Amino acid sequence: MSKASFFDPATIALHSGYQPESDHGSRAVPIYQTSSYAFQDVAHGAALFNVERGGHIYSRMTNPTVQVLEQRMAALEGGVGCVCTASGMSSLMTTFATLCSAGDHIVSAAQIYGSTATLLKSTLKRFGIETTFVDINDSAAISRAVKKNTKLVFCESIGNPGLDIADIPSLAAICRKKHVPLVVDATFATPALHNPIAHGAHIVVHSLTKWIGGGGNALGGAIIDGGNFDWGLKPEKFPTLNEPYAPFHGISFFEEFGPAALSMRIRAESMRDFGAALSPQNAFLLLQGLESLALRMPKHVENAGEVAQWLLAHDAVAWVNHPSLPSHANHDLVASLFPKGAGSILSFGVKGGRDAGAAFMDALQLATNLANVGDSRTLVLHPASTTHSRLDAKAMKAGGISEDLIRVSVGIESFRDIKNDLANGLRAAQRTQKNADQKDGRKTQQKTEQTRKQTATAKPVKKKAATKKATARKTAGKTAAGK
Amino acid sequence: MRIKVKGRDTYVATGGKPFDAKLPTLVFIHGSGLDHRTWALQTRWFAFRGWSVIAPDLPGHSLSKGKPLTSIEAMADWIWQLLDELKVKQASLIGHSQGALVALEAASRQPARARSLSAIATGAAIPVNPQLLETAQNNRPAAVEAMLTWGFGNAYQFGKSHVPGQAPIAVGSRIMASNPLETDLQACQNYTNGEAAAALVTCPSQLILATQDKMTPLRSGLALAEKITASEITKIDAGHMLPIEAPDQCLAELRQFITRLP
Repeated sequence: MSKASFFDPATIALHSGYQPESDHGSRAVPIYQTSSYAFQDVAHGAALFNVERGGHIYSRMTNPTVQVLEQRMAALEGGVGCVCTASGMSSLMTTFATLCSAGDHIVSAAQIYGSTATLLKSTLKRFGIETTFVDINDSAAISRAVKKNTKLVFCESIGNPGLDIADIPSLAAICRKKHVPLVVDATFATPALHNPIAHGAHIVVHSLTKWIGGGGNALGGAIIDGGNFDWGLKPEKFPTLNEPYAPFHGISFFEEFGPAALSMRIRAESMRDFGAALSPQNAFLLLQGLESLALRMPKHVENAGEVAQWLLAHDAVAWVNHPSLPSHANHDLVASLFPKGAGSILSFGVKGGRDAGAAFMDALQLATNLANVGDSRTLVLHPASTTHSRLDAKAMKAGGISEDLIRVSVGIESFRDIKNDLANGLRAAQRTQKNADQKDGRKTQQKTEQTRKQTATAKPVKKKAATKKATARKTAGKTAAGK
Repeated sequence: MRIKVKGRDTYVATGGKPFDAKLPTLVFIHGSGLDHRTWALQTRWFAFRGWSVIAPDLPGHSLSKGKPLTSIEAMADWIWQLLDELKVKQASLIGHSQGALVALEAASRQPARARSLSAIATGAAIPVNPQLLETAQNNRPAAVEAMLTWGFGNAYQFGKSHVPGQAPIAVGSRIMASNPLETDLQACQNYTNGEAAAALVTCPSQLILATQDKMTPLRSGLALAEKITASEITKIDAGHMLPIEAPDQCLAELRQFITRLP
């Protein structure tokens, strides 16, 4: 991990990339709400276009307010550069499109956000880029999946919504051996909890919309270039960074910019051609969130841990999943990779399946049912019917998503109030389950009565067969409840 | 472009234009542990306006192969060997920090071939703190961090960048991490010929100095200026890494000097 600043993270988030400007001394980062920037003269404009000098030309490529956010994200993640984009998804698409062309291949963790899976599985396929999905917990399979035309390995540091923890040091070792960059979506962790580059990752992507913004009021994404991948070692493998680029007088981005080749190519090509620019207004809102990130994340983590423990002890809850729990499959990685906590997303199953889950969701008053995470307010979602509904059953299973899974993005309200709200929801779930049980009970009673009557009029040999069937049904019911 | 210098594969940046020996040539020489990318915001301007630009990676640095050279004198000779390979008879020498020592020494060794000398953020000598030397030999990352802490001025410590979205301190850190910093620092430490070399310089010269320089304090640059006949002095309010920290002012000073050369 490189240091972009020698200040501590909390200070970087407040000060990096901006000091009071000379005209008015504005202490807050100003919103440069402008599409373009006046050239001092013809020579100045020409020099900017020819990359002879740094500066702003048009806000699709760069903007001073966005730049402050970029400088801070680069510094917080230990990267050599950052490009912010309009959303987390556009950051991913931009990264993939910069490194891959038709005929190339990506290896991705199977346990990822639904829209990212769709991008990799369907959208990029249309452009001739294939993806192999592999269980993130199976390092050997990931290594085997890397092919000659593989241009990157992708994972989420904390998987959405299954919460698998990526063993980034192991994955980075595989990537170094195979000479492919490791791209990590670190949205669920934020730089306040975990820095993938420090553990060997090469590129970090964030949806800034989530915890970094924290207010749930602005979309944004960030690509942080670790500057720690040697794009020149096998130049033929990464032509976009090594071959002469005609629109810029045939420069080789690696030769010209070295460690910052990727972020410079993204800026020069993807931002110019795809245009997924972050608006200055949104950059300003995201900066407000970033400035308090170091304070908010510990509270998120503390609340999530308490909620997980409380749910675990609740009668209406079938199971709870959070990396802080010893029962979590990757719990052993948490201590080494996430000593400050493994985020504030948890998932759990409500006893009684879909209907009880729906009753739980609808009874909540503090927590909000919506398709977002990382708001300072507590949010809930049923992924199987929303964010991951476009995935088929096999992909859902591979992603660790069950029908009864409820995702909670634990906010920074008081734990007591979150707990009371969830308790209300679980009471509603229990009532629904009880009603369903009673209904089932009545049905069972009716069936038993019916069977008894039929048995009374049947021949002895048929009575034996009916008893066998009833016994089989009972056993099946127990197994299902146990599952 | 890649050429062979004394049989060793050498990378030379040309500012985005093919090298042409018929044009007036400018040689940009980087500092300790760094490479041609120091000059990204100066070389292109000249290359696109009638000069041939060469910004080599010294042997063993970044994209150039070979063992690193161990003395400033050897580096100065190597610069002329490089120009010999390119069939360049005379060139303007521009150096930053250690690169300025190399340019100074080169100008003194072959005065007739030096068209001009531009020395940026330097002095007649760059004595290196013994503790830094020891750290560089035993723990390069720690030495890199110390160099960059001292090397960049106040604004850059606060995350300023002339290239939007880029973190120059981190870029420097990545470049230095894989280059022979300890050899370069030792070469600086050993170099004692600066004042004598300055007396032999006959070409027009300029010194561009940094007021916040903690690596080569302003006073050492001013002292060097006194030893060189007819040198011009400019002070810029920034840290030691002038070509990166104050690229526009640095370029402006180089332009006004080089465009006035006879």
